[in-house]
Amino acid sequence: MEKAQVIERVKKATAEVLKTDDEISDDANFIFDLGADSLQSVQLVAAFEEEFDIELEEEGALKIQTVSEAADFISQYLN
Amino acid sequence: MSSYKEQKVKDLDYIFYPQSVAVIGANRVSGTVPHDLLANILKDDFQGIVYPVSPKERSIKGVKAFKYIVDIDDPIDLAVLVFPSSVCHLALEQCGQKGVKAAIIISAGFKEIGGEGIKREEQIKEIAKKYGISFIGPNCLGVINTDKSAQLNASFARKMPQPGNIAFLSQSGALCTAVLDYAQAKHIGFSKFVSFGNKADISEIDLLYYLKDDPKTKVILLYLEEISDGPGLMEAAKTIIAETGKPILALKSGRTTAGAAAAASHTGSLAGSDDICDAALKQAGIIRCDNIEQMFNIATAMAYQPMPKGNKVAIITNAGGPGVLATDSAINEGLELAKFSDETTDIFKKSLPKTANIKNPVDVIGDARADRYNVALTSALKDDNVDGVFVILTPQSMTDIETIAREICSVTKSFDKPVYTSFMGETDVAKGISILQEHEIPHYILPESMSRAFSSAYNFNENLKEENPPATVFDDTDITKAHSILNEAKKMGKTFVTEDEAVKGLDAFGMPVVENGIAHSEKEAADIADKIGFPVVMKIISEEIVHKFDVKGVVLNINSKEEAEKAYKSILGNVKEHEPNAVIKGVLVQKMIDKGKEVILGLKNDPIFGSVVMFGLGGIFVEVFKDVSFRIAPINHLTIEKMIKEIKAYKTLTGVRGSKSNDIASIVETIQRLSMLAVNCPQIKELDINPLIVLEEGKGCFVADSKIMI
Repeated sequence: MEKAQVIERVKKATAEVLKTDDEISDDANFIFDLGADSLQSVQLVAAFEEEFDIELEEEGALKIQTVSEAADFISQYLN
Repeated sequence: MSSYKEQKVKDLDYIFYPQSVAVIGANRVSGTVPHDLLANILKDDFQGIVYPVSPKERSIKGVKAFKYIVDIDDPIDLAVLVFPSSVCHLALEQCGQKGVKAAIIISAGFKEIGGEGIKREEQIKEIAKKYGISFIGPNCLGVINTDKSAQLNASFARKMPQPGNIAFLSQSGALCTAVLDYAQAKHIGFSKFVSFGNKADISEIDLLYYLKDDPKTKVILLYLEEISDGPGLMEAAKTIIAETGKPILALKSGRTTAGAAAAASHTGSLAGSDDICDAALKQAGIIRCDNIEQMFNIATAMAYQPMPKGNKVAIITNAGGPGVLATDSAINEGLELAKFSDETTDIFKKSLPKTANIKNPVDVIGDARADRYNVALTSALKDDNVDGVFVILTPQSMTDIETIAREICSVTKSFDKPVYTSFMGETDVAKGISILQEHEIPHYILPESMSRAFSSAYNFNENLKEENPPATVFDDTDITKAHSILNEAKKMGKTFVTEDEAVKGLDAFGMPVVENGIAHSEKEAADIADKIGFPVVMKIISEEIVHKFDVKGVVLNINSKEEAEKAYKSILGNVKEHEPNAVIKGVLVQKMIDKGKEVILGLKNDPIFGSVVMFGLGGIFVEVFKDVSFRIAPINHLTIEKMIKEIKAYKTLTGVRGSKSNDIASIVETIQRLSMLAVNCPQIKELDINPLIVLEEGKGCFVADSKIMI
């Protein structure tokens, strides 16, 4: 899957979890820019797993800070 | 203080008196730190403007919120960061772009968690440095300023304390909330209340300097878990106390002696980290407390009441037993019972019942009502022989507790002398105690605490009057020579210098070393001994042998050339048997001094406070009783005199049971020179002069044995 596609699907899952209609940039930080709290951070990981039908390594996944980093991390599982 | 540090202190004005505050990472979820902190600022009527900064909220508690701090048009003095630690660097970067001068970083997850947290802390320090932002924290409860012109509660404490003249600085946030709760119950107010957490930027030292010039603060309380800059803390405390007379009380946790056991010298093993800390705080004039209760007992005495001008107290009580307890504790604390003037005695005779005890302690009898307390307290305070009054009350059926409490408050206000109280009991006296505390009359559950508080205040005030001349710099020393001995040994990878070299090093600083020489043969030993004059002592010199006695490498009391030859042979034989591989440098032949009193002097290079000087009496006093005193170098002669007098066995030096006094002046001079050595030779890790033999007054003292670890 192309990275651009991954990014779009990450943004879609993020918008659903954080319930936001605002435009999300590639380098948006889940906490600093989008206001994710600790519970939502866990929900985001679950949403990505569901979106891409993969199982992410939890410790590494929770360290992800931005949309772009999430896409890179997920891509490792897809390829 | 460096100009960088001076700037930090100036920047604290932005923290305590900001015109505008941005709370970055605020949210709407009650019960969370980001929400409650913002709510506290709003609730406690902050005098400036508050700007919530939240990535997803348009408003919080009816106040317009901004997505980023850079979106705010107005200037921001103070940013309070309540974001998770992983994004604090992003928030701080924007603070820098916005031109914010100061921040409080509440967030945890930095140095205190190790690993990634340490990196994060370094990252925020770099950003702060880049933009010139001074910050408190991270990992802290926040800051409270009760000053009416600010009324800032930038913390997540449950409540704002009442205004007062005590400042509280704490490394522990959790302790802060406990203290606030404790203080509220006792009507104790605060001027500034600061939890400084990891002190990644602003430290307790910066805060102390700020409070020096804070007109709202009269007494400073400090809770510390670790001291990172011992000399800096001491310097700050000395400056504040000397310039303003503001007392500083400290509670320092971690009274452990672990680590001292592994030391190679007597000084090293005796100077535990807490002993050193204790000595350093005392030397700086800081009153170290054992617990929170004791700290507030003393603090309220100093903050609320005039400082005692003398140590003579009058005790007024309605019960004999507590009066005796108060008397005992007062005497134990070094106070004296005031002797009333004839005028006071006459008033007592006229105004108190015949059964009353009109001598000190004054017993106004169990059925006393407010009028008797009034006359006793007023007369005692008027008496020039009285420096302060302890008022004790026990609740009998006829005791009008609240009226008496009010009477005490009213009388005390008219005099410039301290009055402390102890309403003994709990339930019946509760209202009376509350009245006293509301009117800033210190109250103590136990007379012992009352006496301790008075004596602390009195001693602090007395210490303020003391001279503090600089440490003497002797011009007959050869610092270069001492350095070359120590550096040479260090270059060769040695961990200690042999005694002959140690003696040369001490001699270079003008220490009283005894005449000596190094022998390489039996004949040479005999000749040197003969030249020095008998008796002599002979000791092995080898770089492999630190503890000479352990290998039987020392022979004492040698009285002839023949004995010297024999001693040489026996020392070499013993050493060969116990340390067959040791390289023998020779045998040190020294004049033996055997008629004086043995004392021990030592040095230890402490990682927190620097060079620590130790003094004690030798033999059993140091081995068993650990009767030693410490100070941080450099030390002046007055401090040294105190240090010598501080040990329990001091009297044995002054001549007891017919023995003559020892030459204490020569000990003072030797310690002055040792202090100078310590300051000039930081290469020394540990040093023992054990024993220093002190002769009779006027006859000096001599270094009989020494050991220097590098």
